[in-house]
Parts: sequence; C-alpha cells; structure tokens
Amino acid sequence: MKKNVQMPKLGEQMETGVLAAWNKEAGEVVKKGEVLFEIETEKVVSEVESMESGVLEEVFFEAGDEIKVDEIIAVINCD
Amino acid sequence: MEKKPEWLKVNYNKEAVEEVSGLMAKLKLNTVCKEANCPNLGECYKKRTATFMILGNICTRHCRFCNVSSGVVEAVDPKEPQHLAEAVKELDLKHVVITSVTRDDLEDGGAKHFADTIKAVRALNPGVSIEVLIPDLKGVNEHLDVVIAANPDVINHNVETVRELYPEVRPEADYDRSMHVIRHVKTKAPHIKTKTGIMVGLGETDEQVYEVMDDSLKAGCDIFTIGQYLQPSQKHIDVKAYVTPAKFAEYKKIGEAKGFHYIASSPLVRSSYRAEEALEGGKSR
Repeated sequence: MKKNVQMPKLGEQMETGVLAAWNKEAGEVVKKGEVLFEIETEKVVSEVESMESGVLEEVFFEAGDEIKVDEIIAVINCD
Repeated sequence: MEKKPEWLKVNYNKEAVEEVSGLMAKLKLNTVCKEANCPNLGECYKKRTATFMILGNICTRHCRFCNVSSGVVEAVDPKEPQHLAEAVKELDLKHVVITSVTRDDLEDGGAKHFADTIKAVRALNPGVSIEVLIPDLKGVNEHLDVVIAANPDVINHNVETVRELYPEVRPEADYDRSMHVIRHVKTKAPHIKTKTGIMVGLGETDEQVYEVMDDSLKAGCDIFTIGQYLQPSQKHIDVKAYVTPAKFAEYKKIGEAKGFHYIASSPLVRSSYRAEEALEGGKSR
C-alpha cells in the first residue's frame, strides 16, 4: 500500500513551511519513527519522524522549497 | 527566513502531538505549548506532558515577545479546574505545570481560579507535585496569598528579561513588581519553591543578566531558567542574537556559584521545560 507524506502543521498559525532537508533519498528504506525530513519554521528546525515503514518511492519537493500545510510532499510504499 | 543555528533543532512526531492535542480538545483545555507555539511541543507531547493554560487563551496584556493572542477575553470556565484535574489523571502526570494568561480584567487577577485548580488537581491526583506559573496578579499581596494558601509545590513568576528592556519587551509589566511577587511568596511561605526565568537574545548584556540573577536571589528565588528568545512571527520583537550553548553553560555555572538551588540554562529551555527535573534539582540543595 502507498501512503502519502504531507506537510505537517507545526503551529497554530503555520500556513507554509520551508523544507530544510531530506534525511532519506528516493528509493531508500525508511522505518517508522526515523527522521524523514526537516522543516524550518519561524522559531526552529523540526526533525519530522516518518509515520510509516517502507520505501520512500517519490519525493515532490527539494530542500529550500516553501510548501503549504497538508500538501503531499512524498509517497512511501509500505508493501 | 534567516537560517537557524544548528542547535535549534527539535523533534516532531505527528501521532504523539495529535494524541495530546485530542485530549486537550476533548476536555476544552488550553496549553501554553500550543498557544505560544513552543518549540518543545513535539518532545513534551511525545512524553505525554504539557503545560496547561487556564483562564482562557486571550491575554489582557501585549508583551512583544509572546505569541498568545491579546484582545477581548472570555468568561472564566468554572468547570476548568475539574477538567484539568481529569487531564492530569489521564496523562498520569507526576508533576503538573499550570499557567495562565494575564487577566487584569478580573478583580483578583484570577487568583481564586488558580487556587481552585490546585485544589481540584490535588483532590483527584494525590501525590502529584504542582507548579504554578502565575502572572503578577497586579502585585497585590492579598491575591498572591490566595494562591499561596492553596499550597502548590512551586510558584513560578517569570521576570522574562532584564530591567533595561522592560519598556520594549514587557511594556505593561514592571520589573520591581515581578521581583516583589517572588519576594512575597518566599517571605509568606518559605517551604514553597520559588522560580523565575528570563529569555536571552533580546539585546541584553552579560552584566544585565547577572543583575537579574542577583535581584532574584535577593528576592528569595530558588530555581532560575534561561532560554533563547525565538521570534514567533515577523510582528514580534526581533531576535538580536542567537546565544551559543557555551554561553548558556557559562550562565549556568555563574548562576549556580551565586547560590541558586537549580539553574536550567540552554537554548531551548522554557520555564516549564522538564520542570520536574528542576524541582528535584531544587530540592537537593
């Protein structure tokens, strides 16, 4: 099964966040709880944990991109 | 957006955040973690801890560092003390931190509501330690006495910044009034641990930081916290400097030498961050 990875809402007023870095590359195995990517907001950089285990199949954004909350940023293949 | 220093990195686990947020919504409770957009929310919620914020989520003051909304306040929820006590039980907390917005519109500043909340938490959760982070209650001793009489384990009142920056950072507050709050608590109830804290990175000098430490000690403060000010939005006061972890360590060393029972000093320290550790540290002296 494929699961979408969405841009998280890290604060009440957050509408967009800047993707600071990917900690995994497309094609790499990721385990639930591992840091998948980093988001820079007004106050800090947040290391966002993966909610799924599987293969990071596709990523749709690069480091430096400003992304709207809830936008799909990657797909994990959980099969 | 200016690039953040490497040491300002935090963890975020969506499931953990949603679990605690769901409980708060169910019980109609506010947390300062959420309202202040605290950088430690992910870590604390993952550990199933939170700092409760009573008396609504709208503040009557307009401090320029703070993310909590200002404006027209809501009526006080009489069920809030009981709901908060239930949340403490559900989260199985051993130490609870309760703060509030400033309610200058209430005659007692919300003192009775604080006391009611302390009593409700104790009744449902015997053995839990209770820390209240109170506003200045207008510096009125009778209002402070209401909170003291409820006998929390820790009374914290944050000075927030050095004396010289008050007009810019806390225009409606008064440095000496805040020191009075700490002094009055310690004089009236020496067994209650007293606590205060400041943010750095607002343009203060080392000498000014040490002056706050000296004033706090003279007022009878046991526990002192120092953390980096982080700008919640472009509308808030600017960060003047990102203070290095080495400087925070120096503040801690000097503060401990001056005589505090416990000092928490590092970039992501907030006054209620790992408060249980601070209380234990404070007890050991």
